Amino acid sequence: MHRRFYLLMGLMVALIFGDARAAGASQMVWSGLVIANNVAQPAEIPPELNRIEGTLKTWFGYNQFKVIGQSRKTLVTGSEDWLAASKYFSLHVDSKGETPAGYLLNLKLFQEKSVLLETEAKLGKKPLVIKGPQVGDGQLLLVLFVQ
Amino acid sequence: MKTFEEKWTAWLDGELTGDELAEFEASLPDKPAAEAEKRDAHKLGAFLKEQLQDRAMGNEEFFHHQLRERMAADACATNAPEQTTRPALWPIGRLVWAGAVSLAIFCVCTFFVIREKSPSDQSEYLTQVLNARVDPALGPNATISMFESKEEKVTVLWTEGLQSLPSEYATK
Repeated sequence: MHRRFYLLMGLMVALIFGDARAAGASQMVWSGLVIANNVAQPAEIPPELNRIEGTLKTWFGYNQFKVIGQSRKTLVTGSEDWLAASKYFSLHVDSKGETPAGYLLNLKLFQEKSVLLETEAKLGKKPLVIKGPQVGDGQLLLVLFVQ
Repeated sequence: MKTFEEKWTAWLDGELTGDELAEFEASLPDKPAAEAEKRDAHKLGAFLKEQLQDRAMGNEEFFHHQLRERMAADACATNAPEQTTRPALWPIGRLVWAGAVSLAIFCVCTFFVIREKSPSDQSEYLTQVLNARVDPALGPNATISMFESKEEKVTVLWTEGLQSLPSEYATK
């Protein structure tokens, strides 16, 4: 009977710790450089932007969104940095750590080698969209969200 | 003080003596009839004694065997309820075991409930822009606005006045 008791207790502890570890498991952050414009025959929206398609169209008034650079970063410690880059732009993301409300991020948008825009943001469960400069007949957008 | 019936019974059995006997016999209204009744009672007693003597049992062994079996069956019937009720009374060990299992189930369920509740709480977290700045050289007249829309479930950092760039900058 003692063996069964210890077995049960062990199982319970393993479940709790296993679950706790799973609950605190790493999360992935998607970062993208998006060119939005209006065309007669818009291409299908990239799958990463499906969840905010309506929002993007409503806020920015464009009907086509193309990803020109992206990055998927799995955050383990919450203090990592990464880069999403296209030919002329790059978005450097420096995660300063995880808070109960989300990841504290320092974002730098580079236009070639110049820092065009710098911002600090707390990235929660909801996406962050940054309106960048006008590019041709379109608009550069920076999109970040936790997957 | 004996009643007449008690004295009558004692007289029939010949247990009255001396003054008591003389006094009782003197009180009898019809002594010859009483004597005749006494004799009949003695005769009946003798007859009953003769007829009610122990009779020899013809199948004594079979009777004893049947009796023992009946007693054994009765003994089983009286013991059986004890055996069935004994498991119902749980020993301390089993009670502890049952308590531990219940506690474990409770803890696991509680943990899962709490864990399931957490994501919904987290979903309420808004993404916030804490601060932002534009390089004055690349956007001298740039302005920055922040929007947090609960309805749209998105946070927007809106810039205006950044220098426009040629379409080739849209290259991957």
